Amino acid sequence: MLDLSLKVLVVDDFSTMRRIVKNLLKQIGYSDIEEAEDGVQALSKLQNGGFGLVVSDWNMPNMDGLDMLKAIRHDAAIKDMPVLMVTAEAEKEKVITAIQAGVNNYVVKPFTGEILKEKLDKIFDKIASDQKVNT
Amino acid sequence: MNDEMEEIIAEFITEAEESLDRIEPLFVELEQKGEDKDLINDIFRSMHTIKGAAGFLGYQLVVDVAHSSENIMKKLREGEIALSKELMDVILKSIDMLRVLLEHIREKDGIEEDVSPLVSELESVLSDAVNGQGAAADGAEADNQTEPGPQEKTVSAESIQVQNVTEDACPAPEAVISSEQESHPEASERSKVVPEPETATAEEPQQNGTAVKNAPAVPPKDHGQKLKEKSAQNLRVDVERIDKVMDLAGEVVLVRNRLLNLCNYFDQKYNDDPQSESLTETVSFLDRVTSDMQLAVMRIRMQPIKKVLGKFPRFVRDMSATLNKDVELVITGEGTEVDKTVIEHIGDPLTHILRNSIDHGLEPTEDRIAKGKPSKGTVKVDIYQKGNQVVIEVSDDGKGMDINKLKKKAIDKGLITRDEAAKMTDEAATDLIFMAGFSTKEEATELSGRGVGMDVVKNNISMLNGYVEISTEKDAGSTFRICIPLTLAIIQALMVEVSGEKYAIPLSPIEETLQVSRDEIDNVSGQNVIVIRDRVCPLFELNDLLHTGGNGSDRADNKYIIVISMGDKKYCIAVDKLLGQEEVVIKTLDGIDTSTSFVLGATITGDGKVVFILDVTGISRNLVEITKS
Repeated sequence: MLDLSLKVLVVDDFSTMRRIVKNLLKQIGYSDIEEAEDGVQALSKLQNGGFGLVVSDWNMPNMDGLDMLKAIRHDAAIKDMPVLMVTAEAEKEKVITAIQAGVNNYVVKPFTGEILKEKLDKIFDKIASDQKVNT
Repeated sequence: MNDEMEEIIAEFITEAEESLDRIEPLFVELEQKGEDKDLINDIFRSMHTIKGAAGFLGYQLVVDVAHSSENIMKKLREGEIALSKELMDVILKSIDMLRVLLEHIREKDGIEEDVSPLVSELESVLSDAVNGQGAAADGAEADNQTEPGPQEKTVSAESIQVQNVTEDACPAPEAVISSEQESHPEASERSKVVPEPETATAEEPQQNGTAVKNAPAVPPKDHGQKLKEKSAQNLRVDVERIDKVMDLAGEVVLVRNRLLNLCNYFDQKYNDDPQSESLTETVSFLDRVTSDMQLAVMRIRMQPIKKVLGKFPRFVRDMSATLNKDVELVITGEGTEVDKTVIEHIGDPLTHILRNSIDHGLEPTEDRIAKGKPSKGTVKVDIYQKGNQVVIEVSDDGKGMDINKLKKKAIDKGLITRDEAAKMTDEAATDLIFMAGFSTKEEATELSGRGVGMDVVKNNISMLNGYVEISTEKDAGSTFRICIPLTLAIIQALMVEVSGEKYAIPLSPIEETLQVSRDEIDNVSGQNVIVIRDRVCPLFELNDLLHTGGNGSDRADNKYIIVISMGDKKYCIAVDKLLGQEEVVIKTLDGIDTSTSFVLGATITGDGKVVFILDVTGISRNLVEITKS
């Protein structure tokens, strides 16, 4: 089950896209959603704490999604942050790179609320089962 | 469609158009600099983003066009193909098409453009480039290897490390990849061809790409922090909300003016009351704060004029190619801020002037060489603020205007008589090009002859309460100077009285006010004129202009006249009294045709009365007709 009280950070340089993703998240039932325009801004927000999920675009100025992901995984305070990467189909070849960098899942543009929910379900199911194994 | 969706779509159109505006000049830069990775990346990213959002909103045509051009940018980025004029032309074409598509979406006209010819052109240009570019691709790859960023090593090391953890941790994505490989053969092919570390390095220029985007002057190395601060401080606000604040600020200005009046009254009446002094103090403080607030609100609406100039490099590039003239465009002062309305309406007139300068101003290359001028012509666009006006100058170093030729043409066109031409000063003659019907097919080339004459330029600028003037010198070139007031909503005005009614006249075009006696006014074939320092100026009664039917104080021996000067046109308006200067807020009037009534709008004065504001630009524009009637 998704914990809908989690605070979500939507990262995209194109404000229309942030709005679309935000809308889809609201459809799923999330209500605590913040936005960041690029990786740099996102990281500083994440480091301030309080977030439980990141949905990020890949192609962004300043710091792209991949570099942001790597930075998250290198920061002890937020290294376990679930990250869903939004990509375009043309970038599939790069998805492997993202998986290697520790992305939790990815979703291909354009997607519906249902698809987004499916992807998030997978992320949190996986996290839950990992935790069971560990305890 | 629900409101939320409408809003998202509106935002998408605006944002996509902004992206296009931003990347268009980059092409010209790219052409000059050669294959600049940052620029290529920036363009790629914009196309990519537009495609992504359009996909969500179901605009398949936008997706198709953006996708095809993105493919080209991608191959350029990866060094698989080399930059060529053909590639640039076709991508520029696709930018034009995207604009058209966005316009259809905005207009909701349901028109479906046929994008397939463009898409196949994009594809065929790309495949031609790929086939002919084996060598270039090798070169680019070698290039990649000669400058391995320090990042590359850490990245690949990390990838290997993390790989073990995630490979089985997240099976879903991989499954998708393999299942979709068939439908995207090119994608799977590349994932084989391109070794992984390289994919990682490909990200590096992306970061730098932003230096071009947001802060061209900042060197790439320290841009991160600055950009972060900058982007965090921007806020996208609906224009309607700002206009509402602007409107309210205007109201406050009106109230302030009334209060100042009342305060004066009480100050005189109760000047021995100690409270009276503190009232005056308080009101004068309010006065200052209101002025500051007004300025601050005005500034919200102001944007750098750069927004408009962005399309010019490409425009000049296209024109210079079509006309086969070598042209350099020099823009200065692009950071100058002007009102949003000016941004929206100055583009077309400026483009037209620029077109005129390149087409008619600059000589063909052979002529330039023959005259001993540099073969490359220069067109300068210079923008600066002067007092409460913004001045935009477009100057060329071409042949200048031939006054006699202009006059002859105007006579041939029946716009002026031979007699008028003979009397006409050189300044007045240059103004002939602004007359409707002056632009001719005879000299209309592919680019100039689009059915729009320079008269439209003048009208558009007048609409912004501005004016345009020309100075020209034979073989040295011509300069078009456009002057526009900083704000369109609040103006300084001269308050006058005629037949007991108050009127406001915008202060900026007023050259001087004079008191004259009746015998100084002459009548030349039915038109009142007055000679001011050896120059004959037409003189109008304000009542006649406004058709109020009042006859003013015709019998008075002395009259006040206001000399209005716009560009090199000069005329006088006679009034009964000059009342003083006041800051007025222009309120538009419903139900009055401002294009024919010479009334710009109305305002409420300090004493609470509604007063008409005179449209001096409109009068000057119609000077000839008024004089005739």
